[in-house]
Amino acid sequence: MAIVQLEHVRKAYDTKIAVEDLSLLIEPGTMFGLLGPNGSGKTSSIRMMIGITVPDSGRVELFGKPFERKDLARVGYLPEERGLYKKMKVIDQLIFMGQLHGLDIATATMRSHAWCERMQITEAIPKKVEELSKGMQQKIQFIAALLHEPELIIMDEPFSGLDPVNATLLIDTLIDLRKEGRAILFSTHRMDQVEKMCDSICLISRGKQVLSGTMREVKSRYPRNRMLITFDGDDAFLKNPGIEEYKRYNNSAEIKLRDESAAQQIIAQAIGGAIVTRFEVMEPTLEEIFIEEVSRGGRVDA
Amino acid sequence: MPNSTFLIARREYLERVRTKAFVITTLLIPALMGGGILFSVLKSKTSKPASHIAVVASDTDFALDLQAELEHGKESAMKVDVISPPAKDTRQTVVDQTADKQIDGFLWVDAVNGVLKATYTSTSNADISTTTTIDNAMRQVVMRQGLKHRGLAVGDIKSMMEPIELETDTIKNGEVSKSDTMTAFFGAYVLFFLMYMAVMLHGMNVARSIIEEKTSRVFEVMLATVRPQEMMMGKLFGVGAVGLTQIGIWVTAAILLSSQSIVSAMGAGSMHIHFSAPQIIAFIGYFILGFLLYSGIAAAIGAMVNSEQELQQFNLVIAMPLAICMFVLGPVISNPSSTFSRVMSLIPTCTPLLMYLRISISNVAWYDIALSIVLMVATIWVVMWFTARIYRVGILMYGKRPNLPEILRWLKYS
Repeated sequence: MAIVQLEHVRKAYDTKIAVEDLSLLIEPGTMFGLLGPNGSGKTSSIRMMIGITVPDSGRVELFGKPFERKDLARVGYLPEERGLYKKMKVIDQLIFMGQLHGLDIATATMRSHAWCERMQITEAIPKKVEELSKGMQQKIQFIAALLHEPELIIMDEPFSGLDPVNATLLIDTLIDLRKEGRAILFSTHRMDQVEKMCDSICLISRGKQVLSGTMREVKSRYPRNRMLITFDGDDAFLKNPGIEEYKRYNNSAEIKLRDESAAQQIIAQAIGGAIVTRFEVMEPTLEEIFIEEVSRGGRVDA
Repeated sequence: MPNSTFLIARREYLERVRTKAFVITTLLIPALMGGGILFSVLKSKTSKPASHIAVVASDTDFALDLQAELEHGKESAMKVDVISPPAKDTRQTVVDQTADKQIDGFLWVDAVNGVLKATYTSTSNADISTTTTIDNAMRQVVMRQGLKHRGLAVGDIKSMMEPIELETDTIKNGEVSKSDTMTAFFGAYVLFFLMYMAVMLHGMNVARSIIEEKTSRVFEVMLATVRPQEMMMGKLFGVGAVGLTQIGIWVTAAILLSSQSIVSAMGAGSMHIHFSAPQIIAFIGYFILGFLLYSGIAAAIGAMVNSEQELQQFNLVIAMPLAICMFVLGPVISNPSSTFSRVMSLIPTCTPLLMYLRISISNVAWYDIALSIVLMVATIWVVMWFTARIYRVGILMYGKRPNLPEILRWLKYS
């Protein structure tokens, strides 16, 4: 049973098409990355999954059946725009959110304390939200989305604004949750995180699906035509006709090859004029795929 | 009421009654209002014009009588210099004295062909109380002098000119009872302003609370579990309950304060404000209707704008209809049963204030009351229908404020 299934979903606001013909499938116990540049339709897609807006056409299924509002009690949502009641105490706020998701006061209180401990913010519990740092507020929001132990966790840009220590804490928590069998969808444009964490991805650009599938499938579609070379000396080898383009740094160069087979010839030429300390042929990173696919579609909204 | 609506209403209520603003408005508004009214009543009782003027008249008898009336009369305590008869340079003297502020003004009385002509000259042209007092005093004196010339005894004249006290009775529920017009008037006046403040304050609170959720983006999280309608209803119920709590406190305080002993201890024994049970029930009932109407409008505005500053520009939409009630306050108080008063009090935006005012100062026909409630409920229903639609779309729209065509399009979204 798929946790989330979108089929040919379309949503337009007046004249602007936010999402066009989007289909995706999220399996239980997997981490799904929804990628795309700003304004590409990520948030619009998420909003349709949880019934904030209704698609103009296409089907949305949650937990293997057409969308129903009562299923929202099984979903945890962390929106991109963080929102908490500023004047409210943290613990009151968490209990309130828990109750809205159908928990009773006792359970909500107990879980709030447990989660605050896990997120290392116990000192914030009696404080008002406005007294807390941004990072702490974000953790509270994170907890609020998880209190009711949802089976589907949707996080819109969960790591933006977090320092590396806290981002790691969040990533570790999400990985733990995946181990427990929850399905996690997050949207981001930080490709390094996606590459490390996600089982499947879907890349959308200007409302249209550009790429989708498991991480392996996506990567295998691209040739191993990236080359990284660290060297000292003459860089004449960069003029080799097998090189489509390159970026020259202090002591290194990132090269895109026309053909995988050109690599051997280039290294041979490089050794002739320079001391090579490192040499690697790789598949493109997700970031490169992202940039390539998005710019193929035209303008990237910043 | 769905569970989440209740949760939202409860949160709203608890967070609001705990704020300092709630405590301050609850204490301050009636204190200011009661204090202000008490002050003006006491002031108007004791304050008699105390100007220092000169009376210039060729008729010395008349001038002295007028001096006595102005200095020791019922309504005045002026200081009066008499110049009678005037010398050649008198005019210049009094003009100079007035200009130098030695006196506040002078009254010049001439008899032209047996008709008295009086002119009061002063430096201020808006001293209504002084001119009114002089006017009244002259009437008294002219009459007294006229009667005297016709040979009546001074004692007879005095008893003839003694004023009569007018007492008023009203029939309520078929019984004649002694009414105290002043009491009824001030009671109605105080409650009229409390109603005005309460409807305005809590209506705006709804808008402010929506904007707060909009700017803090709390909506995004809430909408993942709650319907927009549930949020809106929860908010209205929550803020409305705060308003009722506040009114409850006010009514209790008013009943305690209006008990005779306290009022007389404050030195206003003759003016006690009395609130009857129907008056209080009507107050609460019309507050609820008024609150729902105005907070419905306020909610729509709150959903459309992005910040408190933008809200200020729309304040007028809420303040204007209430201000209209203030403009017609005079005619309605002086004649609460006229066609004009009836029509005004049936306009839904004015009903909470004006119909309530009419109920507290006169006997309003039951069908007027029934009609006003029906009209209000119908209007509230229409306003809520629009608001729910605008709210649903508006709360997720940030940035640009929508223009009219866009708002009309929002109404069509389902």
